Amino acid sequence: MAAEISEIPILQTAEHSEEEEAQEHLMLDPRPREELNRMVMESMNSYTKKYWFFLAVFGLGAAVLLFGAWGNMIATGIGVSGKTRPIFWATFITTFVFWIGISHAGTFVSAILRVFKAEFRRPFTRAAELMTTFGLAAGALFPLIHLGRVWVFYWMVPYPNARWLWPNFRSPIVWDFLAITTYLLSSTIYLYMPLVPDLAMARDRTKGLRHAIYKLLALGWRGTEAEWFRLRKAINIFAFAIIPVMFSVHTIVSWDFAVTQTLGWHSTIFGPYFIIGAILSGVSAVVMILFVLQSTMKNMAYFIRKEHFDGLGKLVLIFSMAWAYFFFNEYILHWYGGEADIRRLLTFHAEGPTAWVWYLMLICNVGIPWLTLWNKKIRSTPWLMFAITMLINVGMYFERLTIIPLTLGHQRSMFDWGEYIPTLTDISIPVGTLCLFIFLYLAASRLIPLIPVWEVQEGQMAHRLRKVGKAKVPSVTELE
Amino acid sequence: MADDTVHMAFFKEDQIDLAAEAIATLHSLGIADSEISVISGVPFSEKILGRPMSWTRVGLIGLAGAVVGFLTAQLLNIGTVIQYPIRVGGMPYFPIPTAIVVTFALTMLGLLIATFIGVFIETISPSFGPKGYHPKVSDGHIGILFTCPPWEDDQMHAAMKELGAELIHRSEVKDL
Repeated sequence: MAAEISEIPILQTAEHSEEEEAQEHLMLDPRPREELNRMVMESMNSYTKKYWFFLAVFGLGAAVLLFGAWGNMIATGIGVSGKTRPIFWATFITTFVFWIGISHAGTFVSAILRVFKAEFRRPFTRAAELMTTFGLAAGALFPLIHLGRVWVFYWMVPYPNARWLWPNFRSPIVWDFLAITTYLLSSTIYLYMPLVPDLAMARDRTKGLRHAIYKLLALGWRGTEAEWFRLRKAINIFAFAIIPVMFSVHTIVSWDFAVTQTLGWHSTIFGPYFIIGAILSGVSAVVMILFVLQSTMKNMAYFIRKEHFDGLGKLVLIFSMAWAYFFFNEYILHWYGGEADIRRLLTFHAEGPTAWVWYLMLICNVGIPWLTLWNKKIRSTPWLMFAITMLINVGMYFERLTIIPLTLGHQRSMFDWGEYIPTLTDISIPVGTLCLFIFLYLAASRLIPLIPVWEVQEGQMAHRLRKVGKAKVPSVTELE
Repeated sequence: MADDTVHMAFFKEDQIDLAAEAIATLHSLGIADSEISVISGVPFSEKILGRPMSWTRVGLIGLAGAVVGFLTAQLLNIGTVIQYPIRVGGMPYFPIPTAIVVTFALTMLGLLIATFIGVFIETISPSFGPKGYHPKVSDGHIGILFTCPPWEDDQMHAAMKELGAELIHRSEVKDL
């Protein structure tokens, strides 16, 4: 390059406007590690009355709406759930697919952005990974709830019964069990491993019981070269390996539907269609969580900035477009095929008494993001992003409602059509899992550092403003 | 060097160049790489600090786990049917397409769990080089631990101080 390039420290001011603009980026607004640690520890130790109130409300919500209603259903029988012929898969399976979808983006955001070294990922990877773990925990309850006779759930475990009959490994339901177990274990470990250096940081700043817990979990971390090297290697293995696992999980969930002969389900495109939907709803959920963290937790405004909403907003827009592509692809082939039964089903979705669900799905998943997210100002406004992504998640829930109960109710034989009317139990249990998810997240936010401090510091050390010609431009140095 | 004392020289997070220079100085004063270890709050590659390459068996352990997972999957796919054959959905007893799904899930599970176990085992295994810890590390400081014969203490301290290091007394060095 002909122009002379010289590196200059960020804090030496020369042209204020450029530097002020640069400092809007977390990576170009460095603070000493001591201060970063203090800020994160402060955010973990701020127990306000509001915090306890919400923790109690959501804890109670989970206890009553989820476990209370589930307990009642176990005692009374699954008939209280409102499932009736021909609709035997209803809100429980809908919510199961919804939570598994939500859990996807945590790992997606963290692993894919890590593999591609997207720098803006650094402050929110852990918040996203935590969402995966708790989203999966909430979702994994539904196969158990849906079983009815939950006390025999172990029949799904690869374990023979008294007659040496094993579970049927040719069944997608058993694949589900294997895939979700694999994903839950691997995403929990993927959350834990990069957490170890930050647990060591918390260990050095706490006393009493907390110190003892952090000390145990930090595995004697000192930060030696060998420890960092090993951690890096393991994180890399996980980041690469967990991506196909993530894709496989939702594909297998889609096969629960697609391998059947059910009208509207038997489709070769269901795997990728489900994955794209999962990532769309999951990335949207990450945005929602970041907004809540930024606006409620102490010092989070420093770590989570407009640039993060902007970056995630672009991802949401891309996945909204991809979702529309898959949706249309599925729709047009069914429609063009001209089979009378499937045409009748499509007409029912678009013109029947529940057509509002179908239209709301399209408005929320396509109309709203396409009309808004092309605009940087909107993408950089956190509360607007929260509203948009919440609507996307409403749209994605309606998509699953359309695919499951609204499709099952209008199969080939008109004499076997039925309508699904959810009961209180059908509504209470999904709302209860939402309460459980929020409760777990709230509790975890005060127990583990939600910001990966070492990753943020590493990023800040790697970023510099460089003078190229007359301008100062951000540059990144490869420190690994 | 059983009687040698562990010394700890600290450099601030922005003094990485000086830390690398300090290691070079220790080398020039006759301290071998095996008598030096570096602890830091962020990862630095060996090249940056002029240190020998670290090694780990985590990848191999992970691979071994993948093999175990693969074999377990075959046991479930084939072994269970041998024990109690049931014809399902007109499929053969050993359908390859469904076996691929189970094989993939269990191979990945084996790989990922074994990788974690590998990290865990290597972490709790005894390590070489001088040991010690100070909470300043998690505040971003770069700590250089080294051992030398007692009669060289003053010379080493002077060399480190000249480069701007903060020296930590042995009594303050924690053992975790």
